[in-house]
Amino acid sequence: MCETCGCGQPDEVTIHDHSQKHDHDHEHSHEHEHNGHKHTHPHSHPEKRVINLNMDILSENNKMAERNRGYFEGKNITCLNLVSSPGSGKTTILEKTIQSLIPSQKIYVIEGDQQTMRDAERIEKSGAPAIQINTGSGCHLDANMIHLALKKLEITNNSLLFIENVGNLVCPALFDLGEFKRVVVISVTEGDDKPLKYPYMFRSSHLCLINKTDLLPYVEFNTDTFINYARQMNPELGFILMSSKTGEGMQNWLDWIRNI
Amino acid sequence: MTHWQVIRYPAFVEKILIMHELSLALEVTDLASREAKKNRIATIMEIMIEVGNLSGVEADAFEMALDMVVKDTILENAVKKIIRITGKGRCTSCDLEFEMKNILDCCPECNCYSSEIIGGREFRVVSLTGE
Repeated sequence: MCETCGCGQPDEVTIHDHSQKHDHDHEHSHEHEHNGHKHTHPHSHPEKRVINLNMDILSENNKMAERNRGYFEGKNITCLNLVSSPGSGKTTILEKTIQSLIPSQKIYVIEGDQQTMRDAERIEKSGAPAIQINTGSGCHLDANMIHLALKKLEITNNSLLFIENVGNLVCPALFDLGEFKRVVVISVTEGDDKPLKYPYMFRSSHLCLINKTDLLPYVEFNTDTFINYARQMNPELGFILMSSKTGEGMQNWLDWIRNI
Repeated sequence: MTHWQVIRYPAFVEKILIMHELSLALEVTDLASREAKKNRIATIMEIMIEVGNLSGVEADAFEMALDMVVKDTILENAVKKIIRITGKGRCTSCDLEFEMKNILDCCPECNCYSSEIIGGREFRVVSLTGE
């Protein structure tokens, strides 16, 4: 494991200065004496070279994401990546979703949080096998973490896999995990201007769940304003108004899952 | 039998300062080390990176983060050239190509928001100069 960033790549390159013994192939200039006379050996310096890479900085992540995607396709696994800010209700939505679908559908969950196993424990109680990834101080899940989790989860064919990402509307937008669809969850207590503040997340998602609609009478959240802002970012984005507490809109969400 | 397990990333915990751009800067040092080894380069003198203003990466914060993470890596003494690229959009209604300073910019002709981003999403290492 790479000790630099925990990316799972072997930390292959060692850095050493020229005072150390090393085996790369250039000659050093030096003077020394032979039989009492002094001379200088001919020597060459390594040539300065320009390596044109034009390489995407997230290319390692993207490669691993494509590997995960191939794994999902081969096993006919539908993988959904749930992203949101902390406290939007992702885990509660998942609990209710699992309880509704589990009789007829195999479901697995990968949970991402900086710390604790609380979410995986909650999910397990609702009936689905879950794996918790603790990212420590990391702010997002990456494709390699999913790859490692998949090896431990041993998912059966034709199942549904939910990834609950770290609560954060910034970083997870840039990291493809290999998911089939990305679902952004927003709760009405967060304010209707969130799409303008976090455009990348709304731009990269396929569906938006507007959660906690039971609180609409108590907060200043204009659903039309929110949807207009989000559509400016992403005209293709779908919306489902729901409350995981009262069950409003739950059926629409379950239907959307069944139809993808 | 419990189904959940914990996968810990202790390497992350060691590096306390992980913010968005910092974790991306770590991807760059990793990429540079990999490519230097592949191309048999022992010292990197310069790294050229393109950051588009619609890439989701803040170029100034990224530059600062890169300065922070290069210590004890192959990029420690490298000159870091960060090239900022201005975004470009094409309106899906009227086909006009226009400059996008912000991801929220709409088409200046028809005020339509459904534009396709055709430039400014770059976040890549262009080249390494070394010996």
